Amino acid sequence: MSGRHIYTDMKRREFLKRLFAFTALPAIVSMPSACNDRGSNNKHIKGGIAGANHKTGHLLRNTQHLPAPSETKDVNILIIGGGISGLSARRWLGMHGVDDVLMIEMDSKTGGNSVYGENSITAYPWAAHYLPVPDVQNKELIEFLQSCGVITGYSNGLPVYNDYHLCHDPEERLLIKGYWQEGLVPNFGVPDTEKAQIADFFRHVEEMKLAKGKDNKYAFAIPVDASSADETYRKLDAITFETYLHQQGYNALHLLWYLEYCCKDDYGANLRQTSAWAGLHYFAARKGTAANATGADVLTWPEGNGFLMKALRGNDVGNIITNTLAYKVSIEDNNRIAVYCYDAEKKQSTVVRAQKVIMCTPQYINKHLLQVDNAERDGIYDIASYAPWVVANVTVQHIPEGKGAVLSWDNVVYGRESVGYVRANHQLLKASAQQVITYYLPVVDTNTTAARSKVHNKDYEYWKQYIMGDLEYAHPGITAYVSNIDICVWGHGMIMPSPGYIWSDERRVAQQPIDDKIYFAHTDLSGISIFEEGFYQGIRSAQQIINSL
Amino acid sequence: MDKPGVAEKILQQRQRILLFSVFVIATCGLIYELIAGTLASYLLGDSVTQFSTIIGTYLFSMGIGSWLSKYVDDNLLKWFIRIEILVGIVGGCSSPLLFLLFEHIASFRLVLYALVSITGILVGLEIPILMRILKKSVSFKDLVSQVFTFDYIGALLASIIFPLLLVPYFGLMRTSLFFGILNIGVAAFLLYQFQETVRYRKLYISIIMGSIVVLLVGFVYAERIMSYTETLAFQDNVIYSKSTPYQRIVLTKNRRELKLFLNGNLQFSSADEYRYHEALVHPGLQALPHAKSVLILGGGDGLAAREVLKYSNIERITLVDLDPAMTSIFKKNEMLLALNKRSLLSPKVTIINSDAFNWVRANKQLYDFVIIDFPDPSNYSIGKLYSTRFYEELHHLLTDDAIVAIQSTSPLIAKKSYWCINHTLAATGFITLPYHVYVPSFGEWGYVMGMKKYNWKHTDNLPSGLRFVNVTSMKNMFLFPPDMDEVQTDVNRLNNQVLVNYFEDEWAPYIH
Repeated sequence: MSGRHIYTDMKRREFLKRLFAFTALPAIVSMPSACNDRGSNNKHIKGGIAGANHKTGHLLRNTQHLPAPSETKDVNILIIGGGISGLSARRWLGMHGVDDVLMIEMDSKTGGNSVYGENSITAYPWAAHYLPVPDVQNKELIEFLQSCGVITGYSNGLPVYNDYHLCHDPEERLLIKGYWQEGLVPNFGVPDTEKAQIADFFRHVEEMKLAKGKDNKYAFAIPVDASSADETYRKLDAITFETYLHQQGYNALHLLWYLEYCCKDDYGANLRQTSAWAGLHYFAARKGTAANATGADVLTWPEGNGFLMKALRGNDVGNIITNTLAYKVSIEDNNRIAVYCYDAEKKQSTVVRAQKVIMCTPQYINKHLLQVDNAERDGIYDIASYAPWVVANVTVQHIPEGKGAVLSWDNVVYGRESVGYVRANHQLLKASAQQVITYYLPVVDTNTTAARSKVHNKDYEYWKQYIMGDLEYAHPGITAYVSNIDICVWGHGMIMPSPGYIWSDERRVAQQPIDDKIYFAHTDLSGISIFEEGFYQGIRSAQQIINSL
Repeated sequence: MDKPGVAEKILQQRQRILLFSVFVIATCGLIYELIAGTLASYLLGDSVTQFSTIIGTYLFSMGIGSWLSKYVDDNLLKWFIRIEILVGIVGGCSSPLLFLLFEHIASFRLVLYALVSITGILVGLEIPILMRILKKSVSFKDLVSQVFTFDYIGALLASIIFPLLLVPYFGLMRTSLFFGILNIGVAAFLLYQFQETVRYRKLYISIIMGSIVVLLVGFVYAERIMSYTETLAFQDNVIYSKSTPYQRIVLTKNRRELKLFLNGNLQFSSADEYRYHEALVHPGLQALPHAKSVLILGGGDGLAAREVLKYSNIERITLVDLDPAMTSIFKKNEMLLALNKRSLLSPKVTIINSDAFNWVRANKQLYDFVIIDFPDPSNYSIGKLYSTRFYEELHHLLTDDAIVAIQSTSPLIAKKSYWCINHTLAATGFITLPYHVYVPSFGEWGYVMGMKKYNWKHTDNLPSGLRFVNVTSMKNMFLFPPDMDEVQTDVNRLNNQVLVNYFEDEWAPYIH
């Protein structure tokens, strides 16, 4: 869950730094042994597991225990789910004069993967935390960014991005062979033959970026559904990224580590769980341009994508009901949709009768909710799989540093399970020794169900121990400076673009409305869990409704 | 035949041990004297006066000690051991104590002389008592000859190793603690060697252990508050150092000058800071005869404020410095108050300890003249304060006629950095006026003035008593010879921070 990475040749000063780097080796070598037995030393660290919303979600497994509905409410349009897709749909309907819209959200606040927290130092994300500078072709997205001050104007026809929102330098660093190098593409101590292969790979994806199919559409575009239908490219969805790389002759260890890191970072999946099409999409789809930035730059905020989420939602939240779980969606005789809702706070149920419903819920939830015969649609349930994530926000008074690049926005450690940490207060511009770092761990396992039960079954102490072990590896001695770790466990963190998923018939069908009454929008209907997909999912479903009116 | 031989040998051994003790304590005694003298000249300046009054006080106190020795009668060895422990504690702790107090008390001359006197008295007691112990076994002639021989050899050793080995490689604090431990070591050694101490041995051993632990802790702590490597890194003697949450502040002193370092980078030398600060303030402020309010960003040393206060038309100065430790020491310490002419205590000055970027963003007041005296852009958090975003935020703090003066590193050594600051300022709509001066400690030094509309003029509206800036020297500042000529650079933005890269590359051959 971090930024795009510019591939550059090693800078001169990095070369100079290399000369001194070997002195750091003994310190790194001694780390792993030091990090496992720290259990007794981290008692001073406070915190807990935050946002246990899966408990409310799990009520869906036994809906018969929920109280019978005690009241009925009528609305024109009901949006189920207050993530980015839902908020985007709601905004689009509002912009087009559709009123009497109600939104329900299971969690105590809207946001989905863009929820955020806050402490005395800074706000911090609980999941998604950046948006790459978008392509100007994404007109709706560009207009949205202008409406919320992310784009401040235009210069020579290109958007000018707000300096406070563009990620400040230093952006990325990678701990490799005991040395923090600038940038995430492995370079320090990488053999020349491997470097040549890395350079070759980046040339390859640069070509893919410009590649167009017979229909004159880009081979890889955002949103994914804007990509070319040309089989030359789409057939890449059938094989794994691993197979593709093998076929193309890419076998350099450091390149493969890096590509797997990218798949874990954006998809929560390894090279074998990612389709070749999706793997290439990661590199080839971004075509952002700007007057004061490049397509490799990202926009980020202390609260992560919570910033964009708040802007999508707007200030008028009167028609959003939180802490409310939809547990049954059916079509009534009078052709209205009956949505059975359970208020987890008041512990009572309501039936909301709507003319139309947008289900901005993931498909594994829809499987439980939808009481409508639609065998064709059911196919999606068997092929959608989701990656579990553990995200932690760590408050630290001081970070003991090794050799090389200084604390950056995105900090990654070579060869680890986690995808590193992001400095939440990076954009605050305030000189502060205290930091809040957001630590991301995709729990990658070929058996995602097993991985999911692992993340749910382990307790706070287990994760605290695990995370501190990982942080100690990168920063020996950091434990003493950590005052707080809050953890969020995402059982179904994001859809995985497994081979065959993105260009499956099932996914295409699952986007279709049922009877012009029930509409669907979610990033799992794109196959890639990024802000832009959610944003366009919402617009697509809302536009379908507008067109049907 | 055998019996007297054994007794003789034991006696001789005792004698040797005691003479060895003379040698050690003589070395220690002179070391304490040298430490006190050196410290006094670092911290109070004027080394000739300081050194001679310290030596005088020390010798006079030794005299008092010698005189007092006649009141010591019973159990001389026990007294000697007792005194060794005391000398070890007082002498050993003297230098760390003085360094620590330097920050906290305005006039610590008293403490310094008190410590010197106590050490002197205790050292003065040592030799007379020792001589009286030895007198039982040695004839007076031999006694005087041997004791003073070892005494002076010890003194010679001390005077040679002090400047050549101890100060450069050990530092004052660790030297003093180390010799304190040696003194106590003598006490321990005597306790162990002499049978007659057996009755009070236990008690004294625990006292000795306790004191050694205290000194060792001091040793470790000394390492932390004034690290060994740091002492090596600075040419001069470190007289104050403190790690705050924001930076490491170090003051060093030699006979001629006092220097301030922040994170190892020189901020000023008392010998020529007037050139730097006069050039920072006067070219801009002389052009604004109606200016009333001044904003100083950075400049927690109060030296820029000192120059601003020379204009009677200035009514208010707001000084924003991140680090309360900086403004605090420049408001309290005698030597620093003499340097900044108590500027930070002026009723016209309001000090705000806050992060400049966010303060500037939030502040609503207007200023006629703004001085930006940040450290050089050597890291990313300082680099942000030289970005387009920061200069754009400045606009709303300025009256229409306002001038901004920015310290901008060396246009000779760091040509790209210097012109990058100029171009960054210009990119945000300021009319810029680059200038430079020669500051011996820094070399060629650059500044940039910025204004919304061109209203700079060359006047003779300069306060009296300036040592560097006058009508003629001011004219020369704006001429850039070819080796400092404008070069093309990128503009420094938050998301590229090119300035930090330029700076690092250009200064690397000099200081890193």
